[in-house]
Amino acid sequence: MSAKIEAKGVTKRFGDVVALDDFTLEIPPGSVFGLIGPNGSGKTTFLRVLTGYWLPTSGDVWIDGQSVVASPHRVQQRLGYVCEQPKLYTDHRVDAFLRLMGGLRGIPRHDLADAVDAAVRRFGLEEVRRRRIAVLSKGFQQRVSLAQALLHDPPLIVIDEPTVGLDPRQQIELRRLIRSLGGSHTVVLCTHQLGEAEICCDRVALLDRGRVSRMASAEEMREGGALERLFLEATHRAEEEQAERRGEERE
Amino acid sequence: MTQRLWALLCKELHSLFASPIAYVVLTAFVSLSAIFFFQHVVTYNRLLFLFQGEAIGMAGFDAGTPPRQLNILEEVFIPTSGDLSLLLLALIPLITMRMFAEEKATGTDELLLTTPIRLWEVAVAKHAAAYFFVFLLLATSSVFPAVAIEKGRLGLEHLLALYLGQLGYGVALAAIGLACSSLTRSQIVAAVLAYAIPFVLLDFGWLEPLVSEGVASFLGQLALQERFETFARGVLELRHAVYFAGLTSIGFTVSLTSLELGRAR
Repeated sequence: MSAKIEAKGVTKRFGDVVALDDFTLEIPPGSVFGLIGPNGSGKTTFLRVLTGYWLPTSGDVWIDGQSVVASPHRVQQRLGYVCEQPKLYTDHRVDAFLRLMGGLRGIPRHDLADAVDAAVRRFGLEEVRRRRIAVLSKGFQQRVSLAQALLHDPPLIVIDEPTVGLDPRQQIELRRLIRSLGGSHTVVLCTHQLGEAEICCDRVALLDRGRVSRMASAEEMREGGALERLFLEATHRAEEEQAERRGEERE
Repeated sequence: MTQRLWALLCKELHSLFASPIAYVVLTAFVSLSAIFFFQHVVTYNRLLFLFQGEAIGMAGFDAGTPPRQLNILEEVFIPTSGDLSLLLLALIPLITMRMFAEEKATGTDELLLTTPIRLWEVAVAKHAAAYFFVFLLLATSSVFPAVAIEKGRLGLEHLLALYLGQLGYGVALAAIGLACSSLTRSQIVAAVLAYAIPFVLLDFGWLEPLVSEGVASFLGQLALQERFETFARGVLELRHAVYFAGLTSIGFTVSLTSLELGRAR
C-alpha cells in the first residue's frame, strides 16, 4: 500500500518571491525519496503544497491520480505528515493527542483505541502515554509526531527534517524506522543532512531555487562522497548563475 | 455532526479549559457580577430606607411612600444587566484571542490543516467552543438576576429576555473576537482588535456633532448600547436578534475567509 506522486509545473509565488518555479517531479510508489537542497530552495514549500496545506499558484500535484488542488481532503486522508520541529498540541496528554489525531483522520471510533494502543507500542511511548506532551523530551515529542502521522497507516508519509535536535541514538533509530517504511509506504523525506539522505533514501532530488536541478539514484549516492559532490556542483552552479545575473544587471 | 468536527470541538474545549485563562475569566465574571449586584441591592435598600423612613419628609413625596420609579427593576435588575454586558465586553476577548492566533504562532495549524478536516469544520469547531464558553459564563452568573426576579416578582420573561439578549450579544462579541484572532498570529493584536471593534460599536454619540442628522440616526441604529436596556425590560425585538445574528455571521465569515486565504496565500 504505497502511493505514486506526480508534480507537474508547480509554481508557488509569495509576492515577487518565486518559491517553486515550474517544479516537476515523479516519485515512484514504495520509494523513500529524499529532497535536498540549500536553504530557500523550495523543499518545505513543496511539502506544504504536496500535503494540501498551501495551494500552488499554478500547476498541480497528483497522488495516485488524485489532485491536491481539486480534492485536497481526499489526498490528506492518504497521507501522514511529520512537520519540521514537532508541532503538537502540547497541552494534551500523549494518548489524548493520538485519539484526537485519529479522530481528525477519520479512524472509526470503534477502531480508535486499538490504533492508539498500536501506535504507542510501535513508537515506545508506553511509559509516557499519560504525560502531557509539553513535559516530554524532544526525542519523545518526535516519536509522538511520527506516531500521529502513521496512526491511520497511510500510503504516503511526508517527513520534514526529522532528526533536527535529536541525540545520535535517536537519529539512528529514526533513520532505521524511515528505511523500514519504504516498500510498504512511499516516504518523502526532506533533509539538510546529506548523510541522512544516503542512509535512508532510494533516490534524491537536488532542489535549487524552486526547481529540481539534479536527480541521484541510490547507487550514485553511495559512490564515496558522490552526493556531496553533486550537491556542491548544483549549488556552485547556482551561485555562478546568480553572480552572472548580478553582473548583467550592473551593466 | 461529523467525527472530525466532534474531535476538533473536544480539542478546542480541552485547550480552553487546560488554560488558566478560562478559570480566571470565569472567576472574574462571577465575582464582579456578584459585587456589582450587591452594590445595586445595597443602594436600592438605602433608597428604600430613605423614602420609607417616617422621620424624613421630602417635598413632592408622601412620607413613607417610595416613588414609583424606585423599584427593583429600575434599581437592581436593569443596572445589573448593564454591568453583565460590560463584563462580557471586557472578558470575552481574553478567551477568543488565542483560538486562531495561537495555532498560527505555534505552527499547529500546519498539523491541523494537513488532516482531512474541512476549513468550515475548523471554523465551526472554534466558534462553537467559544459560544459554549459564553453560555457557561452567563449560566454561572444567572443566580443574581434570578434573585432580583424572585424578590421583585418581575416575572420570568424578564430573566428569559435578558439572558437570550445577553447570549446573542456575547456570541456576537465572541464571533468578532474570533475573526480578529484569525487575522493575526499575535494574541495581543487579536485582543486589542477584539476590544476596539465593540468599543467603536458601543455608542456613536460622539460622532453626532460631526455628521448629518440622517447619518447620526443610522449610526444610532448600529450602536450596541441601546440594546442592553430593552432586554432587561423583558423585551426581545427582532431587529436586535437580526443585528446580533448579522455580527455573528460577519465574524464567522471573516474567520473562514481568513483560513481560505491562508491556504491560498
